[in-house]
Amino acid sequence: MFTQIALGTMEQGLMYAIMVLGVYLTFRILDYADLSVDGSFTLGAATATSLIVGGTDPWIATGMAFIAGTLAGLFTGILHTKFKITPLLSGILTMTALYSINLRVMGRANISLLGSRTIFSDFAKLPFMEEYGVLVLSLGSVLLIGAVIYFFLQTELGLALRATGDNELMIRSLGVNTDLMKILGLGLSNGLVAFAGSYVAQKLEFADASMGIGMIIAGLASVIIGEVLVGTSSIGRAILAVICGAVLYRAIIAVVLQLGLEATDLKLITSFIVIIALVSPTLRKKIASWSGGISGKEAQ
Amino acid sequence: MLNVHEVLKTFNRGTVNEKIALNKVSLELLPNDFVTVIGSNGAGKSTLLNAIAGNFMVDSGEISIEGIPITRLPAHKRADLISRVFQDPLSGTAASMTIEENLIMAFRRGKGRRLRRAIGPKERDLFRIELEKLGLGLENRLTNKVSLLSGGQRQALTLLMATLQKPKLLLLDEHTAALDPKTAEKVLELTCGVTEQQQLTTLMITHNLDHALTFGNRTIMMHEGRVILDIKGIERNNMTISRLLEMFEKASGSHMNTDRMILA
Ligand SMILES: Nc1ncnc2c1ncn2[C@@H]1O[C@H](COP(=O)(O)OP(=O)(O)OP(=O)(O)O)[C@@H](O)[C@H]1O
Ligand SMILES: [Mg+2]
Repeated sequence: MFTQIALGTMEQGLMYAIMVLGVYLTFRILDYADLSVDGSFTLGAATATSLIVGGTDPWIATGMAFIAGTLAGLFTGILHTKFKITPLLSGILTMTALYSINLRVMGRANISLLGSRTIFSDFAKLPFMEEYGVLVLSLGSVLLIGAVIYFFLQTELGLALRATGDNELMIRSLGVNTDLMKILGLGLSNGLVAFAGSYVAQKLEFADASMGIGMIIAGLASVIIGEVLVGTSSIGRAILAVICGAVLYRAIIAVVLQLGLEATDLKLITSFIVIIALVSPTLRKKIASWSGGISGKEAQ
Repeated sequence: MLNVHEVLKTFNRGTVNEKIALNKVSLELLPNDFVTVIGSNGAGKSTLLNAIAGNFMVDSGEISIEGIPITRLPAHKRADLISRVFQDPLSGTAASMTIEENLIMAFRRGKGRRLRRAIGPKERDLFRIELEKLGLGLENRLTNKVSLLSGGQRQALTLLMATLQKPKLLLLDEHTAALDPKTAEKVLELTCGVTEQQQLTTLMITHNLDHALTFGNRTIMMHEGRVILDIKGIERNNMTISRLLEMFEKASGSHMNTDRMILA
């Protein structure tokens, strides 16, 4: 019983880690709070499941989910950079539009994959993969994607992307089209989020039009948990932190559920985690200034 | 070399806050000119540099460098011609990235960014040699994050970044104003060294009238969006600060706002 839950949590955590890596790209690397995530997670699930039900090979369907998510991210990026809509509003617009699009893609409010081929059912047919196939495939995917992001962020293009989030004026004066960088980052991020959505849906053998609600906050919570516990001293460490954070977040959720809380209370708890994390630096500063410590201004 | 022709820039046009920041300003720089720019607060000095760098589009007028018209190019497309150092030491570097990462981004100023590993041993060697010239010990700290550096170190690094890939035009906007006097002298010394060695064409805004007259080969004074004085050659060699202030009053019909000026 316990190992079952632990295994399930681990599997889920690793799948969600793919999504959190996407959130990390926008939230931390680009310094852009992108709310499209809620919609693109579902978009990935919807794209993959409806293609699979229609007879497409599940591996191709999973790839298509990535592409669909990327397109959604590009759309958000164009809204923000070309039409000067604020980051928050651009994301909300995409998310809202995606709600209808996802319903169109699925043709109804939910799709069941029971009995269909999925990447997991295929993978389970490999030798020794019957029991731990989902875990191995998820872990392998996360590690591969983490490594690709790690190397990408140290290429010339990757440095330009990071600098766009750090000091836009400076990197533009060095000849980088920062609008393009933001569009690229948002595309990549939402592609990963949708990719994760397709994994989760295939594992659950189910897609639902509302399965992405609250995903961005869950992503932020995971990033923050990982950063606090693992640290961010280098890019490699930050990526590892994100992956660990995602798994830990799922573990916290599992424990909370075991303690008897309703699944419907999860979003409240998640919001609380993020609020505490966001408020704590301010809190710390306040406490410091009360006790006569160094406040931000004096430190200059 | 640089040709600014009757450039007009109005901020908040059509509102009560309308402000003509550049009033048909014209300026021509010869190759290797090192021009210091002075003027009271709000004279339009920074706006002139921003217009040249392409931070915004000007309302009218033309700007060209070596005959290449750049008036309508966005900032990132002028980067192969122009590099700059800002007043705020925080604004010229990416704090969360390492010294070598900042340097490689500057090394590729104005060039395409490709999907290949940015830094190799060859670049590292080059950076070590260049950093050693700053004399700040940064050559041993290539993988330190820039946020760990002091303001002066960051500004010296920014200056190196601006000149690592020789620009056609170097723009300096009070780049020593936020530093303590000793560090400011050091950064100025580095500035002179590199401009001389690379024979750069330079525009340097300063609030230090002494620096304005001792550095470079030409001094211009701005007032209300125009160049009102242009001093060079023998006239400049014989110029004193008090005579400069006198000339300013005559040319502008007002007192120089000297609260931020450093007179000696
Ligand atoms: N982005 C902007 N929006 C509105 N007004 C601006 C903007 N930038 C500059 N101005 C105005 O244009 C005028 C010229 O400003 P500028 O910054 O060029 O002055 P400056 O000569 O650099 O002064 P300082 O010595 O204080 O740096 C000022 O009146 C300023 O308020
Ligand atoms: Mg200024």
